[in-house]
Amino acid sequence: MNLDIAISGIGVVGGFGCGREALARALRAGRTPVGKASFMTPEGPAQLPAYLADTAPLERFVAKRELRRIDHFSRMAMLGGFLALEDAGMLEADRSRLGVVIATGYGASRTTFSFLDSIFDGGDALASPTHFSSSVHNAAAAHSSILLKATGPSLTVSQFEMSVPSALLAACLWLEEERVDAVLFGGVDECGELLHYCWQRFFPTATAETIRPLDFERQSAVAGEGAAFMLLTRSAGAVAPLGRIRQVLQGNAEGGVPALPGDAVLFLGADGHRECGAAYRGLPENALLATYAPLYGSLPVGPAFDLAVAALSCRENQLFPAPSGGSRGIGLQPEALAGRSICCLKFGTDGDFGLIRVEK
Amino acid sequence: MRKHLPVAVTGLGCLCAAGADLAECMASLFAGKRQPKAPTLFTTGHAVAYPVFEAPLAEPEQAGLLRTSRLALVAAAEALADSGWSPEALRGKRVGVCIGTTIGGTTSDEGFCRALRAGVHPDLAPMKRILGSNPARSLAREFGFTGPSQTIVNACSSGTDAVGIGASWIRAGFCDLVLAGGADELGRVTYNGFTSLMITDESPVKPFDKNRKGLNLGEGAGMLVLESEMLRGRRNKAARGFVLGYGSACDAHHLTAPHPEGLGLKRALAEALQCSGLTPDAIAFVNAHGTGTPDNDRVESRVLSDVLPMVPFLSTKGYTGHTLGAAGAIEAVFTLACLEQRRIPANVGFSEPDPELPATPVREITVVQGAAALSESLAFGGNNAVLALGRGES
Repeated sequence: MNLDIAISGIGVVGGFGCGREALARALRAGRTPVGKASFMTPEGPAQLPAYLADTAPLERFVAKRELRRIDHFSRMAMLGGFLALEDAGMLEADRSRLGVVIATGYGASRTTFSFLDSIFDGGDALASPTHFSSSVHNAAAAHSSILLKATGPSLTVSQFEMSVPSALLAACLWLEEERVDAVLFGGVDECGELLHYCWQRFFPTATAETIRPLDFERQSAVAGEGAAFMLLTRSAGAVAPLGRIRQVLQGNAEGGVPALPGDAVLFLGADGHRECGAAYRGLPENALLATYAPLYGSLPVGPAFDLAVAALSCRENQLFPAPSGGSRGIGLQPEALAGRSICCLKFGTDGDFGLIRVEK
Repeated sequence: MRKHLPVAVTGLGCLCAAGADLAECMASLFAGKRQPKAPTLFTTGHAVAYPVFEAPLAEPEQAGLLRTSRLALVAAAEALADSGWSPEALRGKRVGVCIGTTIGGTTSDEGFCRALRAGVHPDLAPMKRILGSNPARSLAREFGFTGPSQTIVNACSSGTDAVGIGASWIRAGFCDLVLAGGADELGRVTYNGFTSLMITDESPVKPFDKNRKGLNLGEGAGMLVLESEMLRGRRNKAARGFVLGYGSACDAHHLTAPHPEGLGLKRALAEALQCSGLTPDAIAFVNAHGTGTPDNDRVESRVLSDVLPMVPFLSTKGYTGHTLGAAGAIEAVFTLACLEQRRIPANVGFSEPDPELPATPVREITVVQGAAALSESLAFGGNNAVLALGRGES
């Protein structure tokens, strides 16, 4: 199915900062400073490098008191959503036919563990109703819909690394079927104590502070968190400065990876996880490819950030140089997009893949 | 909004407290049997043992998979067998999996977290099990399906949304066949969560009754095989039913409470009717969400009274408990089976009308006219989802 979905606005928040310009600056600089995440282990406090997001700019859109009971996970999603609407010039628009589609790998994991803590602290009878209701996976979509008065359909998809292409499939179909006039689409995932603890246990020898995405033999992932949102509309042939989504595919490579356009530039979702990295080795030797995970970190919804980078590339009609060691066949200086399409390609475990093709 | 082409349903499967398969479930529904009881799958520290509806999962423990995925596998195997397809015969075809859930999509494991908090390095096995148990991926892996897979986590409307979205994959030509449905397991986390919200009843659930106090939790899975006309035509397979339409809308009102006037539900109903080309007088019955909570049932009764006056309705949660992410799929399966049988069971648990509710459910087995019915779900987050379903050809 050939799609024609316009990306009308971008809203991003992550370790690189907040907003489209912050992402563009990181792309031009080719780097994002890595922070430190603290967590507890049975041996005591520990730290891991991580790309962490600051949601303070959300107060530009929502009064502080309205945010009191809204957790970090939902705040990141809401900030991404507001920024995307602002970028599209749609902050004041009627949102009665706006759909909300959110992809997440792990959901509001911090709040889930806060809910468990309330049980550990007070017993079953004192479980926290506030934490419980905020821990459901669709809480971010719900908060976004409530604050935006978005009364169209709402959907949250959780398919680990495939969450973004899977959810995007639904967003595009909603537009194609004319169920909605626009979709606020995004991916969001958060860091937290439990994630960092598990990270350390699963990858005990990994000490990388820099992701080496194309070094497929090495576990070099650095945890990231953030939200990457886009306002999607039916293109209908109109000008789409941030590009058009022309194809979304998701499946398992056992059924065959789809043929890629010969002149396409691949934005790989390789993010330093050795287990997933192996799948990228089978790509053609002459493929032009770039990876941007070193700018936003390793997180299940990384493909949403790749899609945002693709949209920025369309807007500026150029390919941004990939951070050090993250490209093949693409120079260290920006180069013209020159009519080529961009395919954001993500491999997960077990041969799962997702592909999003974007054109200017 | 475009009118939807009907999507054929060629197989059905169901596993819940009402029965180990669809035939057992329907027999229980029409016999008026239900078996809520104190939880046996886990212990609780509550002074009151709020009853639950546990599913008879006969499959042996499959190491590495959460109970949610095991429930899903059983119902999916039944649905595929019912459709006449073996997984081997589907190899090479574009087969997708679209599953709704709540528990199966969360990374919490109480034992793991409790141990960590107590200063012990917990075994990683529970986390590996969670990471390997994404419900849609588990089914795709088990049956060797290579098309799109999607796990929807829209709280209690997940199963309804999964069937609606799975049907759109067929209409759009993404897939030749889609395994669509929902699955959820009972566990301490949700049990404590719903109890903390004070919306659980300490006696068997009483949907739409004056004395209703809340829901009883349940577990299970419901699965539908959705098939393209091209594939179905090649083997001349009769449909057990059709997905005629799907509507969904958000209240954008409150995280846990429905809009008092049911505005989102009304929009979802309107969309489901419009895209299926149905008018209210074509609806044989409505399988309502009917959780037994005071708010939900009040809103649903008002909306049904406004939008579909005189159309008989019922909640089947009196037989199954509230199976959360599985509920919409289980109820879609029941709705299609009731259309086949041209009758609906009594709304068990309802005995005393509530003067606040303008419409009341059926009290006894009722013969229904018409070839279409609606199944509706309301959810945390203000989600509302409605399926328009049609009688099959057999």
